[in-house]
Amino acid sequence: MAGYRVVVGIKWVPNTQAVRFDPKTGTLIRQGVPAIINPQDLHAIEMALRLRDAYGGEVIVITMAPPPAVQGLEHAIGMGADRAILVTDRSFAGADTLATSYVLARAINKVEREIGRVDLAVFGQETIDSSTAHIGAQVASWLGWPYIYYVKQASLSNGSLRVVRQLEDVIEEYEAKLPAVISVLAKALRPRHVSLLNKLRARTERPIITWTNKDLGLDTRCVGLKGSPTIVAKVTYLPEVPRLKKVHKAENPREAARWLLKNLLSDEKTRDLIARALWGEGSA
Amino acid sequence: MPRVKCEDLCPEWPCEQPEEFKNVWVYGEIEPGRGIREPSLQMLTPARKIAEKLEGKVVGLLIGHQVTAYADDFIKYGADEVLVVDDERLKEYYPDVYGHVIVQLSLKYKPEVILLAATMRGRELGPYVANTLRAGITADCTDFDVDEKTRDVLLIRPPFAAIMLAYIRTPFRRPQIGTARPNVFPLPPRDESRRGEVILEKVDIPKPRTRLLKRIRIEKREVPIEKAEVIVSGGKGLGSPEGFKLLQRLADMLGGVIAGSRKAVDAGWIPPERQVGQTGRSVKPILYIAVGISGAAQHMIGVREAGRIVAINTDPDAPIVRQADYSIIGDYREIVPAIIEELEELKRKGPKAIEELLK
Repeated sequence: MAGYRVVVGIKWVPNTQAVRFDPKTGTLIRQGVPAIINPQDLHAIEMALRLRDAYGGEVIVITMAPPPAVQGLEHAIGMGADRAILVTDRSFAGADTLATSYVLARAINKVEREIGRVDLAVFGQETIDSSTAHIGAQVASWLGWPYIYYVKQASLSNGSLRVVRQLEDVIEEYEAKLPAVISVLAKALRPRHVSLLNKLRARTERPIITWTNKDLGLDTRCVGLKGSPTIVAKVTYLPEVPRLKKVHKAENPREAARWLLKNLLSDEKTRDLIARALWGEGSA
Repeated sequence: MPRVKCEDLCPEWPCEQPEEFKNVWVYGEIEPGRGIREPSLQMLTPARKIAEKLEGKVVGLLIGHQVTAYADDFIKYGADEVLVVDDERLKEYYPDVYGHVIVQLSLKYKPEVILLAATMRGRELGPYVANTLRAGITADCTDFDVDEKTRDVLLIRPPFAAIMLAYIRTPFRRPQIGTARPNVFPLPPRDESRRGEVILEKVDIPKPRTRLLKRIRIEKREVPIEKAEVIVSGGKGLGSPEGFKLLQRLADMLGGVIAGSRKAVDAGWIPPERQVGQTGRSVKPILYIAVGISGAAQHMIGVREAGRIVAINTDPDAPIVRQADYSIIGDYREIVPAIIEELEELKRKGPKAIEELLK
């Protein structure tokens, strides 16, 4: 194969924005919450596709998830990925980020053995359901590859990678020898839509394959709950913060504004703050 | 009887007993030429709480070039000891290089806990260190506690949907590694009289496998939203990016800054570093004014520690109305200009005007 082989790791997540809280029962309403590709992972797929479009090669999208995640892989194929791998096994359930990254790293090793050299592994910055940002660095650690987070631009040449990344206080340019791992800065790109033609390809060519632990042959002590050093000991609801809950229905904007300022200026938590803002230090 | 049975563990992990580990480490992220970044010093607050319960020491960790001088700051802010690796080859920060330095120190000293600030660098460094040690890591903790029977640290974080707390523990592996976002914990008071030991360490320093070619500083002109006393925040209900101009005028009037909800950031109306909520920043202003924000749990978790919350919303049934101190039900396009005018009038009239208003 000419060009570069890029693997993208994605996560199939519940759309947490669609989860609602039932104030009557004090519980989560999870029913009917749809699952989606973690939105930031779409940016990772987009970056991989742009690299392939520019330099040739192939994009393989990979996820460790229960079987319904195949929908996410179909979406990735629809965007233009060349193939996709669903890594799924009952024994992978309950994995923390270390156990998850272990399976992903070993699956990348298997891609190298059976499909060919992998040049780059790309991940989204973090997920919406747990937002740890762990997986990229952990996969890099398992594979022994260099890694660069928060990449917003990438280019390839002569077996090396050049990226621009952005942190809180700096924009940096790096070079790294391939193979390498990168994570893509949140909202760095504009992920392309699914094309009908590509979607059709998902139906006819069946570019999605499934690997179970029969295929990977990993020690069951290293995967899922058993392979996870962290465990969830318990889960509780956050206590509600007491609030005053005063409500004013505005008939007239000026009168509503006066209602608010009266309250804020007779409230010892905010009175001095407002006085200082209006008349300067010492006025309170 | 040993607590960890080696035959039960993944053979990729080292088999160690928790009793072999002691002390609580805090990684000190360096701002070159300036010193230890404040978010790292803030981590001394939970480190002290954990160390007291475990009867261990708080140890600061400094890695870099010409960083030994900063050890004193670590001690004055609360570290008992500082471990320093000061080497010219560590002049540039590379996460895998710094990661290997921390890994070697950890293998030698066996800390029970390592805490890092979840800055962007901390978020890339922490999981590399944890994984290379085959240790567990918990991101974005909002609190820590200790199970005194097992000495397991409980790493407490909001998981799924932002309205629950998960208590995470790492029973079979040490060190226990956790991160917390900037400004979740307060900076401990600086105590000039504190003294502590500074240990200079030498370790193998691997060659970096990535090379920095260029660095441009992004000038920070404004107060980061985590430090603002007043925040005027906008959501999807603003309807357009122009709405933020109005919010900026109100923020200017009150000496505050503007921020936004995830939806406002997704729409491109306000930059991501101004996003409040689970996937953005946690803020603790004295006054938080939420305009056109419905009040989803993912947003409200970012303002739990606000002194007072004001909501301006057209929908009396919006969840935020039940979670605010003062709510005005109405169109912000009318309400916000009216508040600005009232404030201008107060400003003109001077402090006496308060009495008149409160009559």
